[in-house]
Amino acid sequence: MKQILTVDDSASIRQMVSFTLTKAGYEVTAAVDGKDGLSKAGMKKVDLIITDLNMPTMDGIQMITEVRKLPGYGFTPILMLTTESQAEKKDAGRKAGATGWIVKPFNAELLIAVVQKLVK
Amino acid sequence: MTVDAGTIAIQKIEKAAHQIHTLLGLAESAINSVSVGFENLAGQTGLVLEPVAAIISCIEQDSFRSIISKVESLSVAAKGFVHQRLDATNGILETVTAEARLLERLSELTRGQRSIARETQTLSVLTNIEVARLGQLGAGFQYLAHELDEFSKAVAQSTKELAGHTEEHKASVNETKRNLAAGLPRFRLEFLRIEEDLGCALAAVESSTHQLEHAPAMFRTGVEEIAHQIAGVVAAIQSHDITRQQLEHVQEGLETMVGKMTGAEGSDSAAEDQHPLVSAGLAIQTYQLRSIEETVNQWVDQIGACLDGILRISSTELGIIGPLVMKQESTLAAQFARIDELEQHCQKENEEIQNTFTGLSNLMQLVSEHVEKSRYVRDRLQLLTFNSIVEANHLGSQADAILEISQSIKRISITWSEMTDRSAQAMTEILELVEGAKEKMKAFSIGGNEELAAAQAETRQAMENLHSTVVCVVHLAATVEESTTRLQAKIAVADTARSSLAASFSAIAFALEGIEEVRTQIEHDIPNAIKRIDRREVEDLFSGSYTTEWEREVMQAALSGAPLPSSQQNLAGNSVELF
Repeated sequence: MKQILTVDDSASIRQMVSFTLTKAGYEVTAAVDGKDGLSKAGMKKVDLIITDLNMPTMDGIQMITEVRKLPGYGFTPILMLTTESQAEKKDAGRKAGATGWIVKPFNAELLIAVVQKLVK
Repeated sequence: MTVDAGTIAIQKIEKAAHQIHTLLGLAESAINSVSVGFENLAGQTGLVLEPVAAIISCIEQDSFRSIISKVESLSVAAKGFVHQRLDATNGILETVTAEARLLERLSELTRGQRSIARETQTLSVLTNIEVARLGQLGAGFQYLAHELDEFSKAVAQSTKELAGHTEEHKASVNETKRNLAAGLPRFRLEFLRIEEDLGCALAAVESSTHQLEHAPAMFRTGVEEIAHQIAGVVAAIQSHDITRQQLEHVQEGLETMVGKMTGAEGSDSAAEDQHPLVSAGLAIQTYQLRSIEETVNQWVDQIGACLDGILRISSTELGIIGPLVMKQESTLAAQFARIDELEQHCQKENEEIQNTFTGLSNLMQLVSEHVEKSRYVRDRLQLLTFNSIVEANHLGSQADAILEISQSIKRISITWSEMTDRSAQAMTEILELVEGAKEKMKAFSIGGNEELAAAQAETRQAMENLHSTVVCVVHLAATVEESTTRLQAKIAVADTARSSLAASFSAIAFALEGIEEVRTQIEHDIPNAIKRIDRREVEDLFSGSYTTEWEREVMQAALSGAPLPSSQQNLAGNSVELF
């Protein structure tokens, strides 16, 4: 079963991402911020990461930068899931190594389709 | 605004900021409850939707869907059978009536033959007397008297036997005729009723099948609708994240204004300088809070609609399936019983008619033998007539009486010959009628009606499939009912969480009230204060922390005095951009 890591400081967002992807047949691990996400990614290799941008302790951009340095994470798909839609923020995400950008709220079917495509 | 009034305004704004801070805590807790409740509910919904999908699958099976065409075929075959049967009954009644008439003719002929037998007996006696009177001369006629006596006895015996059987069969045929004639209107009525009932049964089956055919689409639409609504709820719960940030930014904005106003406190002129900025800031926060209210109302409604939809699909609409299928099965079973009853009735009647025709065939055998004997008698009578006339002529006037007897025998012989021919003719006609009737009897035979038998067999098979569907649907409906009961409890929990969430956001109204009071006071002191602001300065001051385009749009509307942008919060979710 493919492993997904969802990183968000909002419990309800973590819950909805888990609910959506578990129903689609994925095993989902949740992290409450960037630091927690980085730690969990280091402990167990995951197939895809979905992360928020603005989070306490460590934001999404920093986390992506650090995750890319972890062994085996060079090409792991990382999706940003955020309320932000400004071009400069997206650009920062892309430069840090994000694979895609989703503006909240996400469309459940679309998220599943993208995840399926990226982890295939 | 006086210094005191300024202090009161600061207190009011601080209070509003505090109310929002409290709201944030309550809302966070409420949204988590909604989120957990919804996840449980969605899991339970899956348990309901699975058997619903299985029910759809049962109903969509081809074998089940074919029931209507099978019943249609059966209906056509049964109607055909009924019409054929009515036609045949009419035909057989006509045949039996004709046979009764022919048997009457046969009876008349046998009565004539018995009369001839008596006459022959008389001639035998007269010949004996004449033989005695002629003495030695009449010895040649002794043979004639003897032959006449023998013929008379044989004819009498044969005719008596035939007459007895004929009368017996006349009674039997008349009985059948009476039964058929009396039964025909009843049959016609019964057949018409069966035809009508079959029509009604077909209409009922068509109607329920039609409903059942729509059921899968109905369920599928319901299931799709729920899936869509669940997706909407997933998006709605996510929207809370946006709302939460928006509220945090409003709180920050209010605190910024309190800071500005506190800094200017104690100096009327300094405070007045801040009024346009505070007025603009309050306008922005008012707009933000109203847009939050609108968004919250939208997703609270979305959650409510989803709960209603789940409840509807899981209970109300499912209830119609089981009874519909069972009604269809019982309607068909009743009509099958009627057709079976009709067949049994026809079978019983067949036996009665068959017996009548078998009896007639036996009688015709007898008639045939009798006709054969009659022909022999006719031939012998002709020979006797010839011989006795020759002998009488030879004796001359002494044998006038014998000559007279011979002439009588000749006359009798002619009459006898005619009767024999008429008997043979009647027999031929009866035999033809019997053959024709046998042909018509095929319609009375169950085995003979292959179309009906085939339609019955196919419909029985379809009914077995229907029964399997009933069992499947009833079983699944019970599972759905159990799950629905559990689901309803979870819906109640989710609904309570939804109500708590809506209630927690009602605090926005109190915050808005305080903000509006301050803003009205400023606008009263400095009309159109908002128009005196440096727009860029205000935007920079309040939007630095904004994380969504939506917040920026709302801010622009507030500063330009435009109506609040309609909340186009897309609860179906946003698209994905891959780099």
